[in-house]
Amino acid sequence: MGLDEALLGAPAPAPHPGSGAGAPPVTVRFYSWSPDTLSLGYFQRLVDVPPAAAFLGIEAPGAGPDTPLPSAVVRRLTGGGAIHHQGELTFSITTSLEHPLYRGHVEGSYERVHAAIASALQEAGVVSRPRAELTPASEAEGTGMCFHHSSPVDLIWNERKGVGSAQRRKGGRVLHHGSIKLSATELETGVATVAGIASPGALAPLLRAAFERHFDARLEPSVPTAAELEHAKAREAFFGSDEFLRRR
Amino acid sequence: MRPDDRKYTKAHEWVLLDGDVALFGITDFAVEELCNGNEGDLVYCDLPEEGRTLEAGETFGEIESVKAVADLNAPIGGVVLETNEAIEEHLEILSTDPYKKGWMVKIKPNNKSLDGLMSAAEYEAFVAEKAH
Repeated sequence: MGLDEALLGAPAPAPHPGSGAGAPPVTVRFYSWSPDTLSLGYFQRLVDVPPAAAFLGIEAPGAGPDTPLPSAVVRRLTGGGAIHHQGELTFSITTSLEHPLYRGHVEGSYERVHAAIASALQEAGVVSRPRAELTPASEAEGTGMCFHHSSPVDLIWNERKGVGSAQRRKGGRVLHHGSIKLSATELETGVATVAGIASPGALAPLLRAAFERHFDARLEPSVPTAAELEHAKAREAFFGSDEFLRRR
Repeated sequence: MRPDDRKYTKAHEWVLLDGDVALFGITDFAVEELCNGNEGDLVYCDLPEEGRTLEAGETFGEIESVKAVADLNAPIGGVVLETNEAIEEHLEILSTDPYKKGWMVKIKPNNKSLDGLMSAAEYEAFVAEKAH
């Protein structure tokens, strides 16, 4: 989270060799989590996410001794619902809001990013499509989980939501988080998964290639700058701190 | 045409001077970017505490739509006198009337200079450019 924050706050990123001609640079990160972690949406109330409330010992509807618990809880900078990061590929995209991917309304930016993801999923043998007006079978009330609540632009297959995503827009830049499930978790039952892919590391190259095709950019492997790493280290504990977790 | 009695920022906030106070809000363009015509897509708005001192350009609040959280930035500096509590319960106001009932924050400005901000005509040209 700290590194994503550093990338979001990057004031004037240097042109990157992976940038498309004339377009602002795009940074894409792929990662997975250890230990498994529940991330709350920026504005979510703890009492609206039973496993988070139970983890922190807070009384809440649906939270009790039998509530399945994650190994850790953090709060994201991005909006939306909670995600249990286990058995999934997580990605982040950071760029300028002037990038053609993100110009215009938020919904349109999701359509463009999701078109790229759908292309990658097809390579993995999954035929997905935007939810549109369908009510997915993965919808569930009262869990606070992102995968149990959908909007028309969300990608579904097997009539279930399969990609969780959320954005933060700040200072003319955007951070876009996404999660693609390879297997269901105890906290996110009934969601769509990419069953044919064995590991997050196997899905990432397909997604990278799809992003390059759809973003008209060449994504070059890179490492964070010293300043980005310094920021990430300084903020490492903040996203799981009581101060940030209990803000709502 | 947007109201020409106020000034606009490139981050799509507006500021209206009214005697010794100033009002901040966000433009219809900002709302449209977040909602794309679905006024129910706005889900939360966090506004500052009264008495807080804001610097020009400082983040004074945050707004969440179904799919994104966005910062709200102060067009000018000053001390927060009042926030529009009606917004927090009725976010649809920002869609239906962003320039009057949709004001967000009332401040006592540090100074009343609006230099560097855009007129309505300049803002029209700015968003027209962004739309292409």
